[in-house]
Amino acid sequence: MITWMRRNLFRSITDTILTVISASILGYVIFQVFQFVFVTGRWEIIQVNLKILLVGRFPEELMFLVGFSILATCFSIASLASGMNRPLDQPPTLAGKLWELFQRFGLIIATSAFLIVLAGDLDAVLFGAYVVLSIFAGRLFGTARRTTLLRRLPGWLWLSINATLPLVLIFLTMGQAALEEWGGFLINFYLAVVSIALSFPLGVMLALGRRSTLPLLRWLSTAYIELIRGAPLFVLLLLAGVALEFFIPASIAPDAIFRAVTVFTLFTAAYLAEVIRGGLQSIPKGQAEAGKALGLSTFRITFLITLPQALRNVIPAQIGQFISLFKDTTLAGVALSVFDLLNVGTAITKQDDYLGQGLIYESLAFVGLLFWVGSYVMSRESQRIEKKLGVGIR
Amino acid sequence: MSNEVFKDASKMSGGRESDDAIIVIEGVYKRFKDFEALKNINMQVGRKEVVVVIGPSGSGKSTLIRCINRLEAHDDGHILVDGTALTTDIRNIQEIRKETGMVFQNFNLFPHLTVLTNVAIGPRRVRGLSKSASEELAMELLTRVKIPEQADKFPAQLSGGQQQRVALARALAMTPKVMLFDEPTSALDPEMINEVLDAMKELAQDGMTMIVVTHEMGFAREVADRVVFMDKGEIVEVGTPTEIFDNPKEERTKKFLSQIL
Repeated sequence: MITWMRRNLFRSITDTILTVISASILGYVIFQVFQFVFVTGRWEIIQVNLKILLVGRFPEELMFLVGFSILATCFSIASLASGMNRPLDQPPTLAGKLWELFQRFGLIIATSAFLIVLAGDLDAVLFGAYVVLSIFAGRLFGTARRTTLLRRLPGWLWLSINATLPLVLIFLTMGQAALEEWGGFLINFYLAVVSIALSFPLGVMLALGRRSTLPLLRWLSTAYIELIRGAPLFVLLLLAGVALEFFIPASIAPDAIFRAVTVFTLFTAAYLAEVIRGGLQSIPKGQAEAGKALGLSTFRITFLITLPQALRNVIPAQIGQFISLFKDTTLAGVALSVFDLLNVGTAITKQDDYLGQGLIYESLAFVGLLFWVGSYVMSRESQRIEKKLGVGIR
Repeated sequence: MSNEVFKDASKMSGGRESDDAIIVIEGVYKRFKDFEALKNINMQVGRKEVVVVIGPSGSGKSTLIRCINRLEAHDDGHILVDGTALTTDIRNIQEIRKETGMVFQNFNLFPHLTVLTNVAIGPRRVRGLSKSASEELAMELLTRVKIPEQADKFPAQLSGGQQQRVALARALAMTPKVMLFDEPTSALDPEMINEVLDAMKELAQDGMTMIVVTHEMGFAREVADRVVFMDKGEIVEVGTPTEIFDNPKEERTKKFLSQIL
């Protein structure tokens, strides 16, 4: 320890000075944060408004739908992820497994526990248990795919089953409650999940379109990608808010959530397309040639040989795109006046009980925490999937 | 196995089609921009014949066999494989690709699929075999190239020689009538060359029609029915291994052989 410090922190006079300065800055910041979190912070504003922060004024009797849609999402993600396992050279030890689980889910569990404690009621605890159950069920379902009769299911059907399940429930939920009634983190969550699920196939199609030998298809894809990438997301969202009224009477115009989903999907797809195109370009020509030599059709070469490898090679960039989409959902709140987490977060500081008390810090810290946890988990999972799929092994 | 008629016919420029020829190449040209990779190629390959193509690098050997399964499109002339003419018609191309197997210099195995799936993918997706039938066939072929125990591994976990044998099994899984080899041992470490050559020899003994582009002169001498020497996009000389190696007639052949032997 001492030698390590001497070598890494106090090797020379400049090192020592730098160490002392950065250590004091770090210490000061940590002290301030600690004080804010545990001493001066007034977290009752979060506790009192927890439900509205998470789901808005969502009708109590329809809450079960929200629950089901979240459970279905957990189930699908778990089942898809377990399908990606590849045989390891060594079976992991129990301790290793636990450590891996802790690394993967520790943060989520801690955050959920924190929320449950804040909520302080039995339903929250029960729901947490259901989430864990649905993840395990998803894993079982995923494993069953490789070991039972489900093996006969073609890959695309398997993927659609898993993607459709949560999407249908989410759309059902969105259709049941009036837009004014729901909000909070639920909006950000739904926007992100739906837009990710829809933008991925669109992005793949655009990437393939841009590499197509058919000129019309290639030009259309290129034009679309360049047009969308040239426009700021915020402008597109504002446009979706106002421009539609020029063409469609307000009475039948789709509501703000629908518009937001459309913009996020179209926007993310354009970026994804470029990422995936990069992945396709990284696949050596010999792969397609080997497919041709076997007599495989162009369609099969793409979907069995080149595309799977391309997608695997660009997992980090794809997840990066999804992470920024997740965070950008807050823009929908500002541009389309959707009552999302950020809007709720600022609105609760204007309640009579808290008005003018500067509680915006507490509120924004909570909003930031939720987004950070979500993004960090996605980023970790991307690294894990990358490792599982053996990127870099050639 | 050897076929005297063909050895003679092939020497004539503009060789004629025969019932017994499985591959007929007539007056074929191939240009890459300003560069002429193939100039007026004429040759026929008989059933069960093993033809080894040799020549300096850049002489058009690889281009020639890549034209046979349309990985390159020839510009002039005709190519017939088992009676089917290679044209721009995609159905003909697919038909010919089903009948010809190819082994590449760099293996070109599919890295995201297991060894077994690599071999099974052709019969399953092109011939339409069931999953279990295609895997059974794949296992049989892996046994034939002597690596059944590697079936569940991924290509990257295998040595170069093993990978090339998987590639051989993958091509054979389509039960092709002709096998094309594009420098199959050039990317291998010396100690692995023989295991691949042995597998190829066995294949030749089983009566497979083979066109082999290679620098392995020992293999050519031992296995070839005919050796074709190419230089600068032309067929310079054709003959039995003894004729070519021991008694070359053309100046360019002599020069090439003196450089490598």
